[in-house]
Amino acid sequence: MSALLRCRDLSRAFGGLLALEGLDLDVEEGGVLGLIGPNGSGKTTFFNVLTGFFPATRGEVLFAGEPITGLSPQVVYRKGVARTFQRSRLCLPLSIFDNLLIGNHKHLDHRLWSNLVDRRALRRQIEQTFAEARELVRIFDPPLADRLLEPASRIPMIDRRRIEVCRALISRPRLLLLDEPSAGMTQEETMRLMDDILQVKSRLGGLTIILIEHEMTVIERVTERCVVLNYGRKIAEGAYAEIARTPSVREAYLGLE
Amino acid sequence: MSIIAQYVMNGAMLGMMYALVAVGFTLFFGVLDVIQFAHGDVLAAGAFAALAVWLGLTRLGVASPALLLALVVVAATVATALLGAAVARFLVLPLKGAPQLNVLLVTLMMGTVLRESIRLFYPGGSQPQLFPALLPTSSVALGEFNLRIDNVILLAAGTVLIAGTSLLVTRTRLGLAIRAVAQDEETARTMGVDFRRIVLLTFALGSALAAFAGVMDGLYYNEIFFGMGLLLGVIGFAAAIIGGLGNLYGAILGGFFFAALQTIGAVALPFASAYKDVFAFGVVIALMALRPKGLIGERTSERV
Amino acid sequence: MRKGLLAAAAVLAVSLALREDDFALLLLTRVLIVILACLGLNVQFGYAGVVNFAGATFFGVGGYTAAVLARSTAVPHLFILLIGGAAAALAGTILVVPVLRTRGHYAALVTIAFALLFRTFFEVNDALGGPQGLKLPELRIGPVHFNDAIEIGSFFASFYLKYIVLSLLLAALGFAFVLRLERSFIGVALDCIRLDEIAAASFGVDVARWKIVAFTLGNFLIGLAGALSAFMVGFIAPDNYSFGESLIFVSILLLGGLGNPWGLSLASAVVLLLPEKLQVIAEYRFLLFAAVVILILLFRPAGLLPRPLRRLT
Ligand SMILES: Nc1ncnc2c1ncn2[C@@H]1O[C@H](COP(=O)(O)OP(=O)(O)OP(=O)(O)O)[C@@H](O)[C@H]1O
Ligand SMILES: [Mg+2]
Repeated sequence: MSALLRCRDLSRAFGGLLALEGLDLDVEEGGVLGLIGPNGSGKTTFFNVLTGFFPATRGEVLFAGEPITGLSPQVVYRKGVARTFQRSRLCLPLSIFDNLLIGNHKHLDHRLWSNLVDRRALRRQIEQTFAEARELVRIFDPPLADRLLEPASRIPMIDRRRIEVCRALISRPRLLLLDEPSAGMTQEETMRLMDDILQVKSRLGGLTIILIEHEMTVIERVTERCVVLNYGRKIAEGAYAEIARTPSVREAYLGLE
Repeated sequence: MSIIAQYVMNGAMLGMMYALVAVGFTLFFGVLDVIQFAHGDVLAAGAFAALAVWLGLTRLGVASPALLLALVVVAATVATALLGAAVARFLVLPLKGAPQLNVLLVTLMMGTVLRESIRLFYPGGSQPQLFPALLPTSSVALGEFNLRIDNVILLAAGTVLIAGTSLLVTRTRLGLAIRAVAQDEETARTMGVDFRRIVLLTFALGSALAAFAGVMDGLYYNEIFFGMGLLLGVIGFAAAIIGGLGNLYGAILGGFFFAALQTIGAVALPFASAYKDVFAFGVVIALMALRPKGLIGERTSERV
Repeated sequence: MRKGLLAAAAVLAVSLALREDDFALLLLTRVLIVILACLGLNVQFGYAGVVNFAGATFFGVGGYTAAVLARSTAVPHLFILLIGGAAAALAGTILVVPVLRTRGHYAALVTIAFALLFRTFFEVNDALGGPQGLKLPELRIGPVHFNDAIEIGSFFASFYLKYIVLSLLLAALGFAFVLRLERSFIGVALDCIRLDEIAAASFGVDVARWKIVAFTLGNFLIGLAGALSAFMVGFIAPDNYSFGESLIFVSILLLGGLGNPWGLSLASAVVLLLPEKLQVIAEYRFLLFAAVVILILLFRPAGLLPRPLRRLT
């Protein structure tokens, strides 16, 4: 069995609030897992614990068989986990390309010597990343691929979300964490974004995705399996069609729709 | 024995002044999440306003010390309250949404404008100015220690003011509105609180407290000086941060804590009491390294 | 690169034209030195977003180090200049932990407290001359005595011309360094740290490491400038390193446009030369700068020459 990500009893408390409580979760390599649950149910907290922003209060995470519990965000990224944020976190004053360079940080040379003195390798890496960036962005929005040197502040919200996804993808991670990538998009736009992501996934081969999403049609279409959280606990797991029929889920979540 | 009493008394006076200044910082931070760095210089402006009014009144022949004192305090309070509200209205509110540091910078520069204006435009402002003794100067002998009546009065008045402020914030409708704005601006707005008005009132209130600290400083040292606000401002800021920005009682504790540090510095380094500020600021820096959000800690936690 | 050489040539041409005018050359040297210091501050504040309200303090650490070494050791003066920079960088390490652990207002307080602490320290420390300060011997690098006028045949020039050449050289090096830093992956990482530490961390940027690097390199430049300034003036005293002076450095940065080395150069020239040219305003200069910076922050927060977008390709 080759679970790429395996969480056991993962828990996180904020003071007395149990934001995540005893979560057990496996994600197969190459799978797409939907993570759903009402507001405040701990979905984002799960990402934050996974990526090392908040230490877990209990439990453990294995990534590709290795424990990554308690590692810093930097190390988790280097191991091949990349994410987007629920609220856009692009560096708006920088160019789109600069933002993508940040996404590709682990493949770039940051030694003082090669950045300040002998800059041949630097130039090569810039050209290479630029070519990769164009190719990647072209999948999502062809005209945008020719505007990489414009400031990120100048493009509309939808394109910013796309660039955030590209920023997470450009380093070719093994696990991609998407936290409501469609916030602020229409349903069609969301579908397109997801199709584009799946296209990149099929190109990369082996990319694994966890998707937090409120739009159930999206979940239904792109995920193979879903986990439902409520008050930090997993209340259901299975294919969307199954869980949509589970009474506790309907009560906790779908009933609120 | 008497020397210790002397140190304690001096520390208490300093602590009271710092606490009054720090409460201002913490109130401003509470409502707007900003540092109003001109606060110390607003204080100095208040002290100079007090001096100017005293000079004017004595020229006019007002001789009653009680009346003089009352008018002087009123003048300083009005001056600082207006200045503080003006800073909020013209510098802080327009920068809402800009990076926090810009507000710090703009008010830092406003402090320079006030400081330099006093130096350049107040007659003789570049030199320290004698401040009149408006309180009884007698003292009570307690063993070898002379307890000065004016100091007791100042401490008592400061205590009353701080207690009054805390009552105002916790018990009145205005205080409720201030706390509502401090909690969450949006909710406060939907509750019908006039956000701008509350901000201006809070800045006026916090600045008025500084006026008293300024007059207190003048009465205690018998002189005031155009640059007096800078150090008092930094110390008040440090005290507010030690106490956890936005926390009223923390600010008061922070003020007395800083005064205690200076006093300890002066006692422990008698051969080099000039180093007492080096010591006090050194401790503040070390504290920030150990507890980056202050001893008591700011109320918010960061979201990812 | 071409712009830089052109600017350097222009400065040289102007100084040659004014070669007998001591005062003009002195002012020009001061501008170049302040540019060097502000370049350092720019790396910290403009790129990495590490606030430093103790610029004048690090400038002073460089100056005092130079004074003490030049008075009591035989270390060659060129090394003393470098050691001045290193000493400032070292002094900065006192602040590394609190500056890394704090942010925003809290970090500002740390550097302000440090500035006041050091100011008092300079003033009360008798070994450093107390309030009177210290005198420095003449700067000598190799065979060049910096305080002798230049006379070659019929060519005569003020001794300040030598200081101009030296400070121009250092400022140009500092400039090249800062420009390259900005146009590198390190520059991208620093910008990201300034704009969003959380995004930076989630893409592997070692926030603490780069903040330390930026802070240390910046302090080195500031200290270097301070050491050179001390030699040129021939004398140092605590009054030159007050909190007000630190604010002037920060004002120059904001006035010019945070993150733009050309902007801070323009602003340094304006801030230092204007009061000298218009004697009437000399007395009011702190007042005026402060007012101008307020207006800039309110109405043109990107400064006189806003930083252009980075172009790596
Ligand atoms: N940094 C924090 N400090 C304190 N409490 C937090 C913090 N982050 C999250 N919480 C709390 O943890 C709980 C779970 O929050 P989380 O953001 O994970 O929910 P979510 O499922 O992502 O919700 P949404 O759908 O609204 O994004 C909430 O009650 C939230 O208030
Ligand atoms: Mg969420």
